Amino acid sequence: MGYAKPLPQVNADTRPFWQGCRQHLLKIQKCKNCGLLRWPPAFICPACLSSEVEWVVAKGRGRVYSFAVYHSAYQPGFQDELPYVVALVDLDEGPRMITNIVGCDPGGVYCEMAVEIVWDDVSEAFSIPKFRPLQGEG
Amino acid sequence: MLHAVGALESGTCKYVLISYGHSARSGDSMLRMLSDMTGDEAIYGHFGAAGGYALAAQRAMHEFNTGPDTWKHIAVGQRAWANLNPRAMMYDRRLTDDDYRAAKWLIEPFRLFDNCLVSDGGRACILTSVERARDLKHPLVTIMGLGQHNPSGDLQKADYLAGPTGAKIAGEAAFSMAGISREAVDACQIYDCFTYTVEITLQDYGYFEPGGGKDWFMGGAIEPGGRMPVNTSGGLLSEAYHMGLTPLTEGVMQLMGRCGPRQLGPETNTKTPEIMLCSDNGGILQTHACCIFRRL
Repeated sequence: MGYAKPLPQVNADTRPFWQGCRQHLLKIQKCKNCGLLRWPPAFICPACLSSEVEWVVAKGRGRVYSFAVYHSAYQPGFQDELPYVVALVDLDEGPRMITNIVGCDPGGVYCEMAVEIVWDDVSEAFSIPKFRPLQGEG
Repeated sequence: MLHAVGALESGTCKYVLISYGHSARSGDSMLRMLSDMTGDEAIYGHFGAAGGYALAAQRAMHEFNTGPDTWKHIAVGQRAWANLNPRAMMYDRRLTDDDYRAAKWLIEPFRLFDNCLVSDGGRACILTSVERARDLKHPLVTIMGLGQHNPSGDLQKADYLAGPTGAKIAGEAAFSMAGISREAVDACQIYDCFTYTVEITLQDYGYFEPGGGKDWFMGGAIEPGGRMPVNTSGGLLSEAYHMGLTPLTEGVMQLMGRCGPRQLGPETNTKTPEIMLCSDNGGILQTHACCIFRRL
């Protein structure tokens, strides 16, 4: 069975991120000038406008800023997953990223819930970062 | 609107047509536009405006305890206006609190009736100078105040999903230009892609404190006969989706007295309007425009 959901449209800004994901490393950009940790990737710092940037590995923990529970599949590939959760997660390092919350009942998700990363290896080329409720020590 | 005023004031032109038309219901271009807007977020099953506004609304539920008990007043209240508007898509369909509650979830926390319509059709308005407009057949409606604020480009950098949105600064600018307070406004036409959008916009304009909407909307406040009529055509939720032109043209037509059975005034047991507040949004609360009109 092929993977029926949309895959990332990789561009120059996001390529290092997706390469990191394939190795199960959640990479975010850090401005070499002002130190801002940022997401989504961009070639210029929104705070100081520097184009000097390095990639650092986030540890993959955060909190749910907000979430939405899909009861309707706007893309056919998601039909079998209904209801599923799309969330904005605030990483402990600061940046906020859109993702899925998996591994729990959608009704149990709440804002500020502590979550940790779980990798979905969807193809030879792509692993997609998703999050689940934080397990074990906080 | 701001560009139109600039073009008129600079003498670049004498008339400006602002128009919108779309075969969104019978064609697939709206769906394609929303898919394009989603971008790489589609890999998570995120979709378009409904997904983004659902995230905003859920955060608002967390921050100031809003939710369906507030939004039902907006959906039901606007439907009551649409039931007076023969051109509204929902003209002949009643909506009760129970109907609202019984409707299916689409993207929770939004039920079916929290979402706007998808429509075929269009709207237009023409701007010209006050001097020229005095000689035309319709009553004169002028622009008292304009304001815009565009806080972000990316949903993942949006800290204002639960307010203050761009409506706060845009509203302050428009009221300042108009030289009036919000108490002087007789009725509002608020961009209502979702019920929550109406709440957060009026909240950011200062009509109630965060979470105060639950009480403010009660008792049919925005309906025919209410103390602050809102979206008197039925709005995007119950009349038709023509982007910001739905609220804008309704505001002007109400001030001109061209609204038939839904006309504000004695017919609908409301105040005959002199001052109208209109709003428009873009993206997921990423851009905002506020406009205050006055009948001379």
